[in-house]
Amino acid sequence: MVEDTRGIDRTAFAILIIGVAFILAPIVIAFLTASLSYEEFVSAGGIGLNVGSSFLDNMRRIVTETQLPGQLWNSIVISLLVAGIKCAFAFTATFALVFYESRWNWIIFSLTIATVMLPLELLVITTYQIVANVAMPLNWLMQITGLAWLAEEVVGARHEFRLSLLDTYIGVALPIATSSTSVFIYRQFFLSLPKDLPRAAAMDGASPFRFMIDILLPLSWTPLVATFMFWFIGGWTQYLWPLVAAATPDAQPAVVGLAKLANTEPDRIPDVPLLMAGALFVSFIPVVLIGVMQRQIVRGLNLSEK
Amino acid sequence: MTGNAIAMEDVRKAYGGNLVIPGLTAEIGGGQFTVILGPSGCGKSTLLNMIAGLERVTSGTIRFGRREVQDLAPKDRGCAMVFQNYALYPHMSVRNNIGYALKVAGVPKEERRKRVDTAAESVGLRGLLDRRPSELSGGQRQRVAVARAIVREPSVLLFDEPLSNLDAKLRHGMRMELTRLHDRIGATSVFVTHDQVEAMTLADKVMLLNNGEIVQYAAPSELYENPATTFVATFIGAPAMNLLAADGEGAGIRLPDGTLLTKTPFRGPVTLGIRPENIEIVPDGIPCRTVYSESLGSHSVIVAALPDGQELRIATPLGRRMTPGEALSVRFMKGAIRLFDPESGKRH
Repeated sequence: MVEDTRGIDRTAFAILIIGVAFILAPIVIAFLTASLSYEEFVSAGGIGLNVGSSFLDNMRRIVTETQLPGQLWNSIVISLLVAGIKCAFAFTATFALVFYESRWNWIIFSLTIATVMLPLELLVITTYQIVANVAMPLNWLMQITGLAWLAEEVVGARHEFRLSLLDTYIGVALPIATSSTSVFIYRQFFLSLPKDLPRAAAMDGASPFRFMIDILLPLSWTPLVATFMFWFIGGWTQYLWPLVAAATPDAQPAVVGLAKLANTEPDRIPDVPLLMAGALFVSFIPVVLIGVMQRQIVRGLNLSEK
Repeated sequence: MTGNAIAMEDVRKAYGGNLVIPGLTAEIGGGQFTVILGPSGCGKSTLLNMIAGLERVTSGTIRFGRREVQDLAPKDRGCAMVFQNYALYPHMSVRNNIGYALKVAGVPKEERRKRVDTAAESVGLRGLLDRRPSELSGGQRQRVAVARAIVREPSVLLFDEPLSNLDAKLRHGMRMELTRLHDRIGATSVFVTHDQVEAMTLADKVMLLNNGEIVQYAAPSELYENPATTFVATFIGAPAMNLLAADGEGAGIRLPDGTLLTKTPFRGPVTLGIRPENIEIVPDGIPCRTVYSESLGSHSVIVAALPDGQELRIATPLGRRMTPGEALSVRFMKGAIRLFDPESGKRH
C-alpha cells in the first residue's frame, strides 16, 4: 500500500502551525501592548491588538526609570550560581552513586531523589529561618552538647552565633539549588559509558578524583552544558523565594522587580505597556541563550555518549 | 627484562556468601605467557582482576616476585591491563590515551613524548597518534590499548579477553603480534580467554579453571594429549574428545553390549576417551553406522553410531564423504586411548 505522505505532511504541518500560534500569541500580544503609550492603552480599555509607536520610549523608560537593569545583573549572578551549584553537586553526587558500590546506594539515591518531591515553595518558612541565620544549626548543636552552657560559664554572657544570608546572592541562590533532578540525567549518562573506563583509569594510576576530572568531566560536557542552561533559566524565572529572601530592590532579581512594577500606586490602572516592555526586557537574555544553545541542549539531553 | 613471577597462595574470593574462588594456589612463571582458560562464569576474570588489583582478595596472598601485592593499588603493583572493549578514553587523542598513565605518574613531557612514540612504533601505530579512538578501526583500537599497557614498561601484562571483539582474520594477526610482542618485551603475560584456540596458540602454559578451581595447569600440548579430567577432555579440542561409557574385562575394554573396543588391559567400569583424529577407518574393525557427516575442506568430520547407540566423532584426513545410514568400521589408534574414572572424571 502506498501511503499518501503528502496528506500526512499537510496535517502535521497544520498542527505545528496551530501549536506555534498558540505559543507565540502571548508574546505577540506582549509586543503589541509594549508598543502603546499609557494613554493609548487606557483609552483602548484594556489589552487588545492595537499597534502603537511608543515601544522604544517604553524601553527607554525601563532602562532609565526603573531598577530593572541592575536587577538584571542580580538575575544573571543568581542564575549562574543556581546552575553552577546544581550541576556541581549533581555531578559529584552522581559520580559517587554510580562508581562507588555500596549496599546503601539505593537509600542514598532515594534520599537524593526525595529532594525533587519537596519544592522550595513548600518549605519557604523553614528555609527562611535557616537563611536568616545559617548558624542556627551550630547554636542548636552547642545547646544540646552543653557547649553553650560551658561558653556561658567562661565568657560570662550567653552567646548566640548569627549569620544572615538574606539579601545576598548566595542566600537567594543556595535554597533554589538544593534539588537533584540532574542526578537522573547524569546517572543515565554515566551508566551508558563503557564499564571498563574507570578500571582502565585505575590501571593507569589515576585516583577516583583524577578519573572524575580528567575523564568523566570532559566526556560529560554536553549533558553538563544542557543541564546548566536548563537550571540557569530555571533560576532566572524563580519568583517566590527571591521575593521572600531579598527584601531590598537592590538585591532582587529582575523577575521580582518586574512584578513590583505592577503595583506602585493602588488607585491607578497599572502601566501595562511599561510592564510588557519590562517583561520583554527581562526575558531577552534567556531567549537569546536558548536560541544560541538549542543544539547543545537537545544533544545533551539525548543521554548517550556521542 | 624478565617479568616477575606471580605466586598466588590460597587466594579466595567471595561475593556476599557466594564463594567464587574457593582457595587457589598457583605460580605463574616470570616472563611466561600464561593463559587462564575456562567457561564463562568460572572465575577467570575475577582472578585476573585480583592480580591486577581491581578487586580485593577475600583472603590469601598474591606475590609479584618477592613482593606481597594483594593490598596494593593497581598502580603500585607495576602491572598493566588490556581490556576486552579496549576502554580507550574517547575524548583523548591516541597519543594522550597511550601517555595518560605517564602523565598521571608525573613523567616530564619530553620523555613522555619519546616513550609514547616508542610504544606506538612497536605496535605499528605510527601516523595515527593524533587521531581520536572513534576514527580508528577495531584492530587499531586494540593496538592503542596494547600500546597504552606497555608504555609504562610493566613487569606484568594482563589481558582480559582482548581479542574477542575482533573478526576472525584480525584475531589471527593479533595473536601472532601478541606472541612476538611478548617475546620482545619479556613481561610476564597473563591472558584470560574462553577461546581454546587462543589458549593453545598463545600460551606457554594454560591454567584451565572450572568453578573457581584449577582443573589442569600445564603446557597446551599436555592439556590436549593428556587431559587430567573428562572436563578438560571435552573443553579442549574441536570436535571434542569422544568419551564412551565402557567396561574393562581384564584383557580388553568392551561396550556395555559386548562389542570389543580395544585390547588395552583394564578391569572395571571406565570412561574411554579417544580424539576424533585418532580413529582410523579400516575394513575390519568396530562396526558402526554413519549418522551425519560434514566436510571442512581439510578434513571431514563423521558422526557415527556404535552398535549400542553411543555416538562417535571421527575426523578423517581426506575429504571422505559418507552418506547417513552407510556402514563403516573403525579402529582406535594405539597409544591414543585415555581412560577416565566414570565417577570422578579423573584420568586413570
